[in-house]
Amino acid sequence: MAPSKKASWTNAPDAEELEKRNTVGIHKETVTHNTSVDFPGHVPGEDEAFSLDRFRDGFSVDFHQNDPFHASFSLMGIDASLSNAFRRILISEIPTLAVENVFIEINTSVVQDEVLAHRLGLIPFKGGKEGLHNFLKWHKKPEPGEDAYKNSYDWNTVSLELNVKCTLNEDADPREDDPRKAYHNAHVYARDIVFTPTGAQEQYFAGDDAIAPVHPDILIAKMRPGQQIGLTMHMHKGIGADHAKFSPVATASYRLMPIIKITRPILGADAEKFQKCFPDGVIALDKVSAKEAAQKGSGYESHVGETKAVVADPMRDTVSRECLRHPEFEGKVKLGRRRDHFIFSIESSGQWDSDELFMESVKHMKLKCKKLEQQVMDMVR
Amino acid sequence: MVREGYQPPTAGAGPRGSTHTGHEVRTQMTYICGDCGSRVSLAKDAAVACNQCMGRVLYKERTKRMVQFEAR
Repeated sequence: MAPSKKASWTNAPDAEELEKRNTVGIHKETVTHNTSVDFPGHVPGEDEAFSLDRFRDGFSVDFHQNDPFHASFSLMGIDASLSNAFRRILISEIPTLAVENVFIEINTSVVQDEVLAHRLGLIPFKGGKEGLHNFLKWHKKPEPGEDAYKNSYDWNTVSLELNVKCTLNEDADPREDDPRKAYHNAHVYARDIVFTPTGAQEQYFAGDDAIAPVHPDILIAKMRPGQQIGLTMHMHKGIGADHAKFSPVATASYRLMPIIKITRPILGADAEKFQKCFPDGVIALDKVSAKEAAQKGSGYESHVGETKAVVADPMRDTVSRECLRHPEFEGKVKLGRRRDHFIFSIESSGQWDSDELFMESVKHMKLKCKKLEQQVMDMVR
Repeated sequence: MVREGYQPPTAGAGPRGSTHTGHEVRTQMTYICGDCGSRVSLAKDAAVACNQCMGRVLYKERTKRMVQFEAR
């Protein structure tokens, strides 16, 4: 008997096949192939087991923007489970310092005590990094009935004060109708909060490193002459899972890299219409070159010099699928998303730098894995 | 979980919570007039009225005690 011909799947996958496996299909009304397939046993004869070497070879990071309040970067060659873990850690597990207890001596403003306390808790604060990250530790909440200050020390509690009184401004025009000019302290802003360092905090939070609101112009309350707010606040470290005020990010999200493939030429007025189906800069208009027109079967024959649509920057696309609604583009364009290309966007609330936050999330992930490893070892033993 | 540290004074709360300790029987209380906003001191048997505008609605002043809240 002649040796049987080898089946096609026994060959190593070519680039086209690999790309197909890595693409989420986006159609008019459906999204297809949205789960990853690079796990052992999915394709016969292929070993897709996770290996550190393969991950190292395939993984790359590319920064698009890196400002203290906004970092945007691509993670390529990583599974959704990992990048989603980073996103979730960013939102709910990285500790920050926020107002936790408010001791109100007097509050005759129209803002109720509990509303005022809640507003104060949501104000983001900044301070010296060394003090915030290394010097300050967790605070243990006293048991009900115990002294409120019981577990408060300089290494876990930051004290702030807010003392403002609204008075009539004698120098103002009697017909002045702007309360900020007619009265003193008509508006209470975050910048009115005074940091009162205790113990070793004087070294860690001195000068520019002092604990202060990130945005000094946050409005806390409005008052009229005779009204007064006098209170002390205690800040503790906490995590976003406990309360959103502890979350170090305003947003931390990712999206998959869009793919736009023009399979058949889009020419002339159609090209301009096609460009308008996408956000600015995604599709560019180009002229059909003589070389392309000379190519048989390319679809460009006898169209030299005409405008054609080309994909310029798919990253800017919002994948609105507008182009799939028009019959003139039917069969000419394919939309998709790259399954292992995550475009992260992290906006810090101010206590950490945005890029620093991502590194911290990786650190947290590593720590979690170490803990799990230990538990697995205990289980086997 | 008790959300506020402030507990209204109860009869058996002891010397800290109770307002009637016998030692400091207040003969005069200050109120705030609901009409003109001025502070009104009332003696034990005085008529309940503001001595400036004769307004008959008087409000109790806010407690001078510190009140603790959780910023949540």
